[in-house]
Amino acid sequence: MKSMIKPRIKSDDILIGCFYVLLGLFSLLCLLPILMVISGSFSTETEIAVHGFSLLPQGFSLDTYNYVLSRQMNTLASAYGVTIFVTLVGTVLSVTITTCFAYVVSVKDFQHANKLAFFAYFTMLFSGGMLPWYLVCTRYYHLQDTLWGLILPYCMNVFYMYLVRNYINGIPYELTESARIDGAGYFQTFVKVILPLSKAGIVTIVLFYALTYWNDFYLPLMLVTDDKYFSMQYILYKMNANIQYLATNSTGFGADHIALPTQTVKMAITCIAIGPIALVYPFVQKYFVKGVTVGALKG
Amino acid sequence: MKYERRKKQKLILKKDIPLYLMALPGIMVLIAFSYIPMAGMIVAFKDYHYKGGIFGSEWTDPLFKNFTFFFNNMENALRATRNTVGLNILFFIFGTIFAVAAAIMLSEIRNKRFIKTCQSVMFFPYFISWMVMGAIINALLSSDVGWLSKFLQKAGINFDFYSSPGAWIIILIVVVVWNGTGYNSVIYYGALTGIDTSIYEAARVDGATKWQQITKITLPLLRPTITIMFLLSVGKMLKGNLNMMIGLTNLNPLLLPVTDVIDVFVYRSSVKNGEMAYASAVSLYQSVLSFLLVIISNKIAKWYDKDTSLF
Repeated sequence: MKSMIKPRIKSDDILIGCFYVLLGLFSLLCLLPILMVISGSFSTETEIAVHGFSLLPQGFSLDTYNYVLSRQMNTLASAYGVTIFVTLVGTVLSVTITTCFAYVVSVKDFQHANKLAFFAYFTMLFSGGMLPWYLVCTRYYHLQDTLWGLILPYCMNVFYMYLVRNYINGIPYELTESARIDGAGYFQTFVKVILPLSKAGIVTIVLFYALTYWNDFYLPLMLVTDDKYFSMQYILYKMNANIQYLATNSTGFGADHIALPTQTVKMAITCIAIGPIALVYPFVQKYFVKGVTVGALKG
Repeated sequence: MKYERRKKQKLILKKDIPLYLMALPGIMVLIAFSYIPMAGMIVAFKDYHYKGGIFGSEWTDPLFKNFTFFFNNMENALRATRNTVGLNILFFIFGTIFAVAAAIMLSEIRNKRFIKTCQSVMFFPYFISWMVMGAIINALLSSDVGWLSKFLQKAGINFDFYSSPGAWIIILIVVVVWNGTGYNSVIYYGALTGIDTSIYEAARVDGATKWQQITKITLPLLRPTITIMFLLSVGKMLKGNLNMMIGLTNLNPLLLPVTDVIDVFVYRSSVKNGEMAYASAVSLYQSVLSFLLVIISNKIAKWYDKDTSLF
């Protein structure tokens, strides 16, 4: 028995130990900035002004959140509403469009499947660029300051389409074939056989799309000027662009000459913007990891 | 006979109707947001004015007028191109080093729970938007309240990050590594888990240390994946990340010597300032050159590895 165990090499143990330490440190570095933001949001403005940001809250207080929730309620509620609406509607719409297209492209005896696949693929090879896109969207589709403008342009991500197609192609051909022999049409086959069997792939793109819409800043930047359609990310942008944006926008604060809690407010709003993602993340991250592995290289 | 075939063809078409209907929304989105903008590239040859739009404005006279602007002001386009390509190369080099290192370390560790925890923690920054990233960077670097700035000030160094473009080469690399290592390491880790373990058994029997196994077996086996990832990034070499630059620097004019990538330049001149002529020429140049790069890198990838098809 003893002879079965191979001699352990001491340098190997040291190396593996180093790997543990390095990975642990890097993981820690991934979290520390977030911790700093959270701490900042619970600090008092004066402490931050004197000492700057740090990893632990300075003079722990909920003042910033009180201030944000009382003075900025309208702005934030509206932005949150826009973000949630765009994320929900956008994700449902995009996933439907993408999955349907992916199925059509994967049907083996459909004569135009390859042509359609190339029709989508070509947009990954060549793009007209930002300027023509911007001109077309504003001048012809009139998407500026509409909720559709924040949704439609992302509805057909070709990369995600291929990801779903890979999953569908992994379904044994006999299964779809037997459904067809039983007299199911293409649509029925899609709903009854394909959808249940490619659930894992669809969940992945649901999450990717939801993340895209939640974090999107490009469409608001290009198409939104009216405060009614400001999303959370756009509020953050305004805030970064002009620290006083929220202060000047808050009504009934003019009489006070107290220093406005701008630095901590920034952190609080940042926390509010990433809050839902951080909450959902632990439950969904495994789908992302899986999705990346499947989608990345199989093309 | 002829009638039969026609009937059969008609039958096929009828049963295919659901397929056409299901593909239709996707086709429409692609046409509206990809193909029509491609046609819109002709704006580079037009005297754009809002009333006429892309298709109604007059052709420039001479046709290449917008490009004579372009060539007369080469410095802007050259700076934007240099920044875009330079940053993308640096992002690729450092991004790959960190991602490959993380993947190899993960694959050597036996503790499953540690692997899972590390992977999910490292993946998290990928979920952070550039705007949030900008707020974080500001909390680190701002000269009056930034954590790092304060730290440096205590050490007697007064350094204003927001007025030194050079420092942003490093800052951008750090942010990209922070943001992408988890995501990219998953790809390499996936490639590593596919490696046949008997090779390592054999190496161990021959008395190879872990370090030798990594450098002599793992790295060479990862080379195809790295090459493919490289070719993928070559296709995107001329694409700058406008969101990232706006999120992190707010297009601070002092930092533009480093952050003015092609997309930023086009955005600044056209969307912001309404100067269509020059921007449209730059935009066309970016699209056409990008297309060539993608095609060439695709060809090389196919030649390198017949099984991979790239985007």
